[in-house]
Amino acid sequence: MSTEPIGTQSEKLSPPRAIAWHQRANPMFVVGVLMLTPLILMAIMAPFLTFLDPLSINAPQKLLPPSWAHPFGTDHFGRDVLARIVYGSQISLRVGIGSTILTALFGIFLGVASGWYHWADAIIGRVSDSLMIFPGFVLAIMIMAAIGPSEFNVIISVTVLYVPRVIRTVRASVIEFRGAEFVEAARTVGAGDFRLLFLHILPKAAGPVMVQLSFGFAWAILVEAGLSFLGLGTPPPTPSWGSMIADARDFIRSAWWLITVPGFMITLAVLSLNLIGDGLRDMLDPRLQSKGIL
Amino acid sequence: MFEYALRRIISFIPTIFITLTLIFFITRMVPGSPISSLVGHQAVSAEQIDAITRDLGLDRPILVQYLEWLPHVLIGDFGNSLFYKQPIIEVVAERFPVTLYLTVFSMIVTISIGMPLGIYAAIRRGGAVDYASNAFSSIGMAMPSFWLGFLLIIVFAVSLGWLPASGYRSPDFGIWNWLSRLILPVIAQSLAQIGLVVRMTRASMIEVMGQEYITMARAKGLSETRVVLKHALKNAMTQITTVIGLTFALGLGGSVIIENVFALPGLGQLITIAAIRRDYSMLEGGIFYLTLVALVVNLIVDLAYAYFNPRIRY
Repeated sequence: MSTEPIGTQSEKLSPPRAIAWHQRANPMFVVGVLMLTPLILMAIMAPFLTFLDPLSINAPQKLLPPSWAHPFGTDHFGRDVLARIVYGSQISLRVGIGSTILTALFGIFLGVASGWYHWADAIIGRVSDSLMIFPGFVLAIMIMAAIGPSEFNVIISVTVLYVPRVIRTVRASVIEFRGAEFVEAARTVGAGDFRLLFLHILPKAAGPVMVQLSFGFAWAILVEAGLSFLGLGTPPPTPSWGSMIADARDFIRSAWWLITVPGFMITLAVLSLNLIGDGLRDMLDPRLQSKGIL
Repeated sequence: MFEYALRRIISFIPTIFITLTLIFFITRMVPGSPISSLVGHQAVSAEQIDAITRDLGLDRPILVQYLEWLPHVLIGDFGNSLFYKQPIIEVVAERFPVTLYLTVFSMIVTISIGMPLGIYAAIRRGGAVDYASNAFSSIGMAMPSFWLGFLLIIVFAVSLGWLPASGYRSPDFGIWNWLSRLILPVIAQSLAQIGLVVRMTRASMIEVMGQEYITMARAKGLSETRVVLKHALKNAMTQITTVIGLTFALGLGGSVIIENVFALPGLGQLITIAAIRRDYSMLEGGIFYLTLVALVVNLIVDLAYAYFNPRIRY
C-alpha cells in the first residue's frame, strides 16, 4: 500500500465524463453527421423512397441506361438499380451497427479483463495480438470460408477482425489508470473490482473507444463490401453494394453506371464515418492525433 | 545490437507457431466442412461420407489431427491442393512473384508520394497543401480499392485505351507488356495507402517540430530549411522504417482484392479462389505464406529500426 495519505489533495475529484469536450463541435464531426444522416434515413425509409422491388427480375428491361423511370438504370436482370442502392444501405448499416455493437461488447469486456488481471492478459493479449498478424482482411476471408457466406457471418468476421484494436485501447486505458490516485481513493473507501472498473476507470476509456468504434463502423462497411465483392459476403440476390459492383464488372464496357453508383455510396458512407471519428478524436483531445495515439 | 537481433529472431518462432495454430483452428471451426466441399452437390450416401472422413483422418479428435498436421506444415508441407492436384508449395511459388511485384511497386509509389506530401503538409500546417492533402487522404481511404480499380479501367482502358484492362504477362514477354498490366493495379492499391502514409508522416513530423531542440535550433538562428531538413527530418526518419513495414503489410492484404479486380494470377487471387471453392489446404497454405512474408518483412523492419535508433535496443 502507498504510504502517502490519499485524502490530502485539495482538488476535488471531477465526476467521470465520457468525453472532455474541448470544442463545442468540430467541423469534421458536423460534416460527417450531415453526410451520414441521409444514409440512415434512406435505410429506414427505404419502402417509401422507391416503390420498386430490388429483387424483382424483369429480363426485357435489362441494362437500361438511366432514365426517369429508372434514375440509375437497370442491371443485367432488369432490376432497378436505385431500389437496390436504397435497400443496399440497409445491409451496410446493419452489418456496421451489428459488428460495432459486438465489437464494443467483446472489446470492452476482454480489454478490461486483460488490463486488470495479469492471467487474463496472458491469454487475451496473446490471442488478440496474434489475430492482428494476418495482413489486411485475410483473416475475414479465412473465417468466411470456414463458416460460409451470410450477413450474420459477415458481422462475426468483421467483429473478430476489429475487436483486437478495441481490446488494445481499453486495456491501455485500464493500465494507465489502474494505479491512479482516484482509483486508490475509491478502493480505500471500499469499492470492489467491478465498481472500480466500470464506474471509475471505464468512463475514462469511453472517449478513445468511441473514436475506435466509429472507425470500426467505417471499416465494417468496407470489409462487407469487399467480402461481398469477392463472393464471400452477403450471398445473392441480396442487394449488397459490394456484390452490386461484382455483378456490374462484366458490363463495365457497356453500362458504366452500374458500377459507379454503388461504389460512390460506399465511399460516402465510409467517408462520413471516418470524418465523425476524426472529429470525435479532435474534440476529445486535439493532441492525440499528433501523438499518433489514435 | 547482436543480442537484440537474436532475441527478435527467436521471438519469431512462437509467432509462426501461433499463426499456424490460428489458421488450423479457424478453418476447422465448423466440423465436417471439408467433406461437404469435397462432395459438393453430388449424391453421396452416408456410408461413403463416413469412408471419406476416415480416409482423411477427420474422424479423430481435433487435437490429434492438429498434432499430426503441425510437423508437416512446419517444414512447409501443406499437402496437395484439392483442385490444382499439385503440391501447394508449387502453386504458391508460381503465383508469388505477381503479388510481390504488385506489393513492392505500390509500396514504392506510396512512400515516394505519401512521405514528401506529409512532410510538406506538416511544415505548412493549415496551408492550402495541408488542406488539399487532408481531403485527398480522407477520400482515398474511404474509397474501396476494388471500385477505384474499376473506375481506372473505365477511364484508362475502356475510354482512352492507353493501358490493358486486366490480365498478366510475365517479364519474359518484354518489359512494357509486363509493366503496363501492373500500372493500374498499383495505382488502385496505392491510393488508400498514400492517404495513411500522409497522415502518419504529418503527425510524426508535427510532433518532432514541437520538440525543444527544434526551438533551440531556431533560436541559434539556423534557416528554416536547415531546421526542417537537418534537425526535424533526421529524427522523423526513424518513422520511415515503420511506415515501410506498414505499407508492405497493407499491400499484401490489399493485393487479395486488387488481384481479383485485374485478374492478376497472384497469391491473393489464389486465396480467394480457395476460399470460394473451400479448398481448405490450399487456403491454409496460401494464407500462411502470405502472412509469413508480412512477418519476415516486419522482422527486417524491426531490425533496421533498431539499427538506426539505438534507443530501441534497451
